[in-house]
Amino acid sequence: MIFFATPGSDPAARIAGRNAAQETVQAIRKDFGFDKPLPVQYAIMMKKLFVTRDLTSFVNRGLEVVPQVMRAAPITLSLVFGAAVLWVFGSIAVGVLAAMYRDTVIDKGLMILALIGVSMPVFWLGELMNLVSQSRFHDTWLFSWVPGLGYKPFFDGPWMWFKTLVIPWFTLAALYIGIYGRVLRANLVEAYQEDYVRTARAKGLSPGRVMLRHALRMSMIPFVTMFGLDFGVLVGGAALLTEVVFGLNGVGRLTYQAMLNLDLPMILATVMYASFFVVVTNAIVDIIYVVIDPRVRGH
Amino acid sequence: MKTIRHLKIAGAALAVGLLAQTALSGVAQAQDREALMKEHSGGTMMLGAVSAAGTIDPHVNYTAEFWQVFQILYDGLVKFKQASRAEGYEIVPDLAEAIPEPQDGGKTYVFKLRDGIKFADGTDMTAEDVVASFQRIFKINGPTSGSFYNNIVGADKCLAESKSCTLEGGIVADEAAGTVTFHLVAPDSEFFDKLAVPHASILPAETAATDAGTSYIPGTGAYMIESYDPNDKMVMKRNPAFSEWSVDAQPQGYPDEIVYRFGMNEESMINAIQNGQLDWMFDPPPADRLNELGTQYADQVHVNPLAAFWYAPMNTNLAPFDNVKVRQAVNYAIDRNALVNIYGGPVLAQPTCQILPPEFPGFEASCLYTENPGTTWSAPDMEKAKQLVEESGTAGQKVTVVSEDTATSRAIGTYLQSVLAELGYDATMQAISPNIQFTYIQNTDNNVQISVSQWFMDYPQASNFLNVLLSCASFNEGSDASINIAGYCNEDIDAKMTEAMQTAVTDPESANKLWAEIDKAFMEQAPVAPLFTPKNVDFTSKRVGNFIFSNQFRWLIDQSWVQ
Repeated sequence: MIFFATPGSDPAARIAGRNAAQETVQAIRKDFGFDKPLPVQYAIMMKKLFVTRDLTSFVNRGLEVVPQVMRAAPITLSLVFGAAVLWVFGSIAVGVLAAMYRDTVIDKGLMILALIGVSMPVFWLGELMNLVSQSRFHDTWLFSWVPGLGYKPFFDGPWMWFKTLVIPWFTLAALYIGIYGRVLRANLVEAYQEDYVRTARAKGLSPGRVMLRHALRMSMIPFVTMFGLDFGVLVGGAALLTEVVFGLNGVGRLTYQAMLNLDLPMILATVMYASFFVVVTNAIVDIIYVVIDPRVRGH
Repeated sequence: MKTIRHLKIAGAALAVGLLAQTALSGVAQAQDREALMKEHSGGTMMLGAVSAAGTIDPHVNYTAEFWQVFQILYDGLVKFKQASRAEGYEIVPDLAEAIPEPQDGGKTYVFKLRDGIKFADGTDMTAEDVVASFQRIFKINGPTSGSFYNNIVGADKCLAESKSCTLEGGIVADEAAGTVTFHLVAPDSEFFDKLAVPHASILPAETAATDAGTSYIPGTGAYMIESYDPNDKMVMKRNPAFSEWSVDAQPQGYPDEIVYRFGMNEESMINAIQNGQLDWMFDPPPADRLNELGTQYADQVHVNPLAAFWYAPMNTNLAPFDNVKVRQAVNYAIDRNALVNIYGGPVLAQPTCQILPPEFPGFEASCLYTENPGTTWSAPDMEKAKQLVEESGTAGQKVTVVSEDTATSRAIGTYLQSVLAELGYDATMQAISPNIQFTYIQNTDNNVQISVSQWFMDYPQASNFLNVLLSCASFNEGSDASINIAGYCNEDIDAKMTEAMQTAVTDPESANKLWAEIDKAFMEQAPVAPLFTPKNVDFTSKRVGNFIFSNQFRWLIDQSWVQ
C-alpha cells in the first residue's frame, strides 16, 4: 500500500522512461495490469510469486525475481556461515577464558577487546579493511594475496572462494564475537554460583571439566537462543552492510537495491525468503535445546 | 562550507595533472589501424558500475549506461560516427550503404541495405528485418515510440493499437532490390538522428514482441552478450558472424572479451582500478578521491565536456514563480561559481546561464543574468535580484526546493535554499530518493515549486533540449511523465520552435540561428535557472590504451585495448 501511495512512484511512468509519450505510459499501465484495482493486483502478484513463480521485476524488466533470490542466496549463506563459525568459536573462547581468569588482566583485556568489537560499526570496519588490504597496503607482502572485491563461487575453486570471503567473515564476526563473548562470560560467572557447579566441584572434578561439561553447557542455552535469532536475520538479509562494502551481491544487497528502486516484486521475494530463514533457524534452535538441556528432554 | 573549499582544491590538483595529458590524445588514431590491431588485439577488459541499468533490450533501454554498450552490439540504418569528441556527432551510414537524399520534399527516404551483414545467430540481415524492427518499437511500447517515431506514416494507428502494428504505408521493404523506403507524415530534420540512436537498432524479424529483459537479442555489432545478470555481471564476447564493413560505424574492437561487473561501490571500484583488477568505471569518481587521482594517476584520468546541463526548473504555475520577475531574480542571484565548486571545481563543470550547452548545434554564447550581461557569466547581481523581488511583492512566501538525495544534488539544493532565503523567502529544502525525485518533480499533483534536475541529450539537435524540455506538448498535468517540469507553455515560442524544426529540414544553419534566438527568448522568460555544464571524468587502469571519447555516446569501449 505504501508503495502505491508514494508520490512519484507510478511504476508505469518509471518503466516507460523519461520523456515518454502519454500513450506509451497508458499502454504500459495496461500491459503490466497497473490499471486494475489493488486487491486484484495483489492477488495476481501472489499467484506469480508462489504458483507460477514467474514474477518479474518492475525495474529490471524481464528479470524473474525467484531465480534471482536463489542465485543470491549462496553468497549470503557463504558469508553468514563462515562468519557464524568464527563467531561461535571465537566468542566461546573469549567467554570461557575471561570467566576462567575472572578479574585478572586477561579477563579485563578480553572484555575491552570485546567492547571495541561491539562498538565498531561493521561498514566502518569493512571500509577500513578495504582501505588497508585493497588500497594502502595492497602491494605489500601482507595483502598482495587479497583478490579484488566480489564473490567467487565455491565450485569454481574453493581456495579462491575462501580468499575472497575471509576478510568479510572477520568483519562480520567482529561484532558478534564481542557481544556473545560478553554475554557468555556473564552467564558463566553466574553459573559458578549455582548449586550444581558446587556439587561438581565437591565431587572432585577438574576445573576444566567443571567449566566445559557443567557451567558452559548450561550457559550455552541463552547463547543458542541469541544465535538462532541473529543467524536467521543475517541470512535473511541483515548482512547487507557487509555485502555492500565488500561488493558481494547477496540477498541483503538485493533487498537494498529493490527498496531504493521501489521494486515491489523483488521486495516481496526477498521478504519471503528472509521469513523462511528466520522460521527455519528458530526451529533448529528448538531442536538444539533438546540436545543441550536435559530439562527440556524430560517433558 | 568546508567541503566546498576542499573540493575546490581537489579540482585544482586534477587540473594540473591533466595538462600533460592533452597533448597525447589523437596520436594513436593516425597510426596504421591494422598494425595496431595486430599488436593490441585480445585480452579481457573489465568494466564496472554500481548497478546495472535494467533491460538489455535495445528497443526499450533508455539509459546512458547501456546506450554506450549498445554501440558495440547493435546497428541502425545509420549511426553516430565512432570518433573522437565533436566528430562523434556526425551521422554515417551503417547498415545502409549511404545516407539517402530526401525525396518528395523530405517526406520520403530510400535506404539501400548493405549485402552480407549477418546477425550474431548467423542469419542474414534483410529488408524484412528492418520493417519488423520498426514495428517492434511500437509493439513493445518503446519509450520513444510516441516521441521519436510518431512521424512515420501509420505510426498513429500503431500508438493507438500497438499489438497489431504494421506501419502500413510508412515503411516499405523491397526484398529483391534490398531497399527500405520510409514515408514520413511531415519532413523531419531530426529523422537521421532518431534512426541513429539504439532505439532504432535493427533486430532479427522473428524477435518476440515483448521486452527481452535479461536475455540477449542477436545483433549485428562487433560483440555479442554471452550472459547478463543485473545483480552480477554482463559478459560480452566477439560476435563470430561479424566482419567489419565500416570503420566509422561499427569498427572491429580490440579486446576479445568485455566483462561489465555490477554491484561494487565507487570507492572500491577506484581501488580496483588502481590495483589493475578493473579497467574502467561507469560512475563518476567520488569527490574525495579526485585529488588523489589528479596527482598520482593523472595519465589515467580523462576529462571531457558533456552535452548536458544542471538546472533548476521553476514551476511557472505556482506562486511565487508564476511571476516572471521572481524567476529572473533567482537567475540573477545564483552564484554559479559556487555551484561549480560544489560539483568539483572548474575542471569538472562550467557555469552557464542558457539552456543549450557549449559546442552544441544552435549554441550562441549569451548570458542575461550576470553582473555585466553579455556572452559569459561573471558574477551574481544580488542588488538587481532583490529589487526584482521587491517589485514582485512576493517576499516572505514559503518556498521549498526539492533535490535528489545524493551528495551533489543535496548540496546544490541547500545552496538554492540559502539564495532564496537571502532574497527574502521562507525557504526550505527537501531531498528525496534519487529513484523517485525525477518523476516526483514532474507531476503537477505534487506542487513542486523549484527543484534541482539535469538533462543529458539524446542526439545533437537543439530541439532535444528546447523542444523537449519546454514545449507545451511536453507538459502533461497530473502525470509522472511530464518532462516540462517548469510547466511552461508559451504559444509564441512554440510556434517559433515548429518553424525552426521545419527550416532545419532544408537549411540546418539558419535553423540553428533560430534556435539560438529561441534559447534567448526562453531565458528572458526564465522558466528555468541553468546552473552549470558538467564534464565527464573517466578513470582507466594503467593497461588501457587508445582512449577515445565521443561527445555522443562517450568512451568508445572496444576502441581501447588492454594489452
